[in-house]
Amino acid sequence: MQHRYVGPKEPVEVNLTKQGDAWTHDGHRLELHGERLKITMADGTVHLAHAAKTGDVWWVHLNGHTFRWERMEPGATSSGHDGGLAAPMPGKVLEVLVDVGQSVTAGDALMVLEAMKMEHRIVATSGGVVTAVHFQANDQVAQGAALLSIEESN
Amino acid sequence: MKGGMSINVLVANRGEIACRVLRACKEAGIGTVAVCAPNDEGSLFTELADRVVVLQGDTIATTYLDQAQIIEAARSTGATAVHPGFGFLSERADFARAVSEAGLIWIGPSPEAIEKMGDKMTARQTMRAAGVPVIPGEEVEETDETDALQALREAANRVGYPLLLKASSGGGGKGMRAVHDPAEFEQAALGARREAVAAFGDGRIYIERLLSGSKHVEIQVLADSHGRTIHLGERECSVQRRHQKVFEEAPGPTMTPALREAMGSAAVAAAQAVDYVGAGTVEFLLAPTGEFFFLEMNTRIQVEHPVTELVTGVDIVREQLRIAKGEPMACGDLMIRGHAIEVRLYAEDAANGFLPSIGPLLVFRPPEGPGIRLDTGVREGDEVTPNYDPMLAKLIVWAPSRGEALQKMRRALDEFVVLGTTTNIRFLRELCDVAEVVSGNTTTTTIDDVWPQGWAPQVDEALVSASLLAASAAEALGLNRRTTQGASGKAGDGPNPFQTISRRFP
Repeated sequence: MQHRYVGPKEPVEVNLTKQGDAWTHDGHRLELHGERLKITMADGTVHLAHAAKTGDVWWVHLNGHTFRWERMEPGATSSGHDGGLAAPMPGKVLEVLVDVGQSVTAGDALMVLEAMKMEHRIVATSGGVVTAVHFQANDQVAQGAALLSIEESN
Repeated sequence: MKGGMSINVLVANRGEIACRVLRACKEAGIGTVAVCAPNDEGSLFTELADRVVVLQGDTIATTYLDQAQIIEAARSTGATAVHPGFGFLSERADFARAVSEAGLIWIGPSPEAIEKMGDKMTARQTMRAAGVPVIPGEEVEETDETDALQALREAANRVGYPLLLKASSGGGGKGMRAVHDPAEFEQAALGARREAVAAFGDGRIYIERLLSGSKHVEIQVLADSHGRTIHLGERECSVQRRHQKVFEEAPGPTMTPALREAMGSAAVAAAQAVDYVGAGTVEFLLAPTGEFFFLEMNTRIQVEHPVTELVTGVDIVREQLRIAKGEPMACGDLMIRGHAIEVRLYAEDAANGFLPSIGPLLVFRPPEGPGIRLDTGVREGDEVTPNYDPMLAKLIVWAPSRGEALQKMRRALDEFVVLGTTTNIRFLRELCDVAEVVSGNTTTTTIDDVWPQGWAPQVDEALVSASLLAASAAEALGLNRRTTQGASGKAGDGPNPFQTISRRFP
């Protein structure tokens, strides 16, 4: 399973593997330990991590360090429209990053929404061509509103 | 009740220090009243008081600084004494006077003592007269700009460069200028005057020799109304960022018994010179030569008082209450035992110029164990807002020796979990490894010297990828769907603001 986060320059990609009750990545292994996350590092040391999510951001405390990872969500929830990308929550469009007719690939940022005082990037779930942009900058959008339409390329 | 009178205390403050005072009152069997601004309703400190009065207003000026409203709150609730905490109205002589004139007990020194120490030029003259060493320099009383400038220039030539220009009514770095060269003097003096007039309505400036490489060492004093004035030894608070202390300790790592005795006697003389009653702190600059000079006196309880409490065994706030009731102090002769260190946890981005940050405290899990004390005004589920000071908590440790106290502080900071809001915890943790901090040879410029380009965290790559594993597995496990149950966060239907709001400030 792939997870993407906003990085300093490029998105950070994590390919998570599940083995029984454990999750692994980069040689590290994680198991649920009650409410806490037990991590066995690649070098064999064990740490208990704390994680909490606010909006799109995961906060992680691990071995005295605190990390803040902002997820890049693949288009949020399905709106029921074909290839439609729905607003994850009510908010305001800050920026539209693509034009009708433009080709996009999975992971491309399409729109920036401000919701609950926080910026959210709407990214393409798959490659295709933008067939419609339903809102412009400064428009208010309701939760679940279709933001853009994309015709998937096969 | 043994001796003294019975009192009911209104705490004219909020957050951490309000909690500290309200708890001390509870321990002393004293009734309490809290006042809070509407946006502080439900805060931890309001839950520690017997009664709460919500001040009507939507700014600090119309709430925590509204003297008439606070005094009316005391009247309407039957409070008989007012504790101002620190900040806000704590060093306002007019408030101390208004409280007394309303027939209430002011838990602090007299308005006259506050005034004498509040005006820095008067304080310097009073100290000089009392035989307390002040930083070499001169006061200039002229108010006419042309005359003042001429007098200041002549005074500057006598004091010598480099020097500091300071506003007599100053504080917080306002109206202050360092001048390294006579050619810069006129512009600096005019700038300092302008700032002082704008900030304090008083353009009087004095000159001090600039003592670089100095330590900030302060002496805690206590005085009761039975004629006893004592000191409780020193605190060293040299480690500062933007003139704000972040790491404080007692005893001072380079202190000697002889120097403590000399500085303690000077501090007691300073307090006696203004007929001081209550708890106060005399701040000194300790030059590399071993000479010390009076800087100013803070006529209130200080943020860093806990380190003194831990090494002396004196409950300073409890003594303030005794003194206010007219009782003699309960503490005996000064005995210093072990070593205490305090760090100030701020909601701020240390890697980004220490800018304040805001957001929810999704997880707030302080360290535990022997020798650890936490003074805070927040708990898990609270929201950090831009309305007030970004200090979240003071973490204080005690151990038999300085080295062990530092080890304990490192362990405590590593265990401290705050998620949802950016804090300076990691910065404080790395500070504990800085060579100057380890050796105790800190000065007021240590942070700038160690991180001239600003601080950035040092993180092991393996830890970064393990944190990504934690975030991704937590997402896959659906841990985000677990409701965060906070003080004002409600479980159940509707979006929980504590789970969805995350802003950066400014």
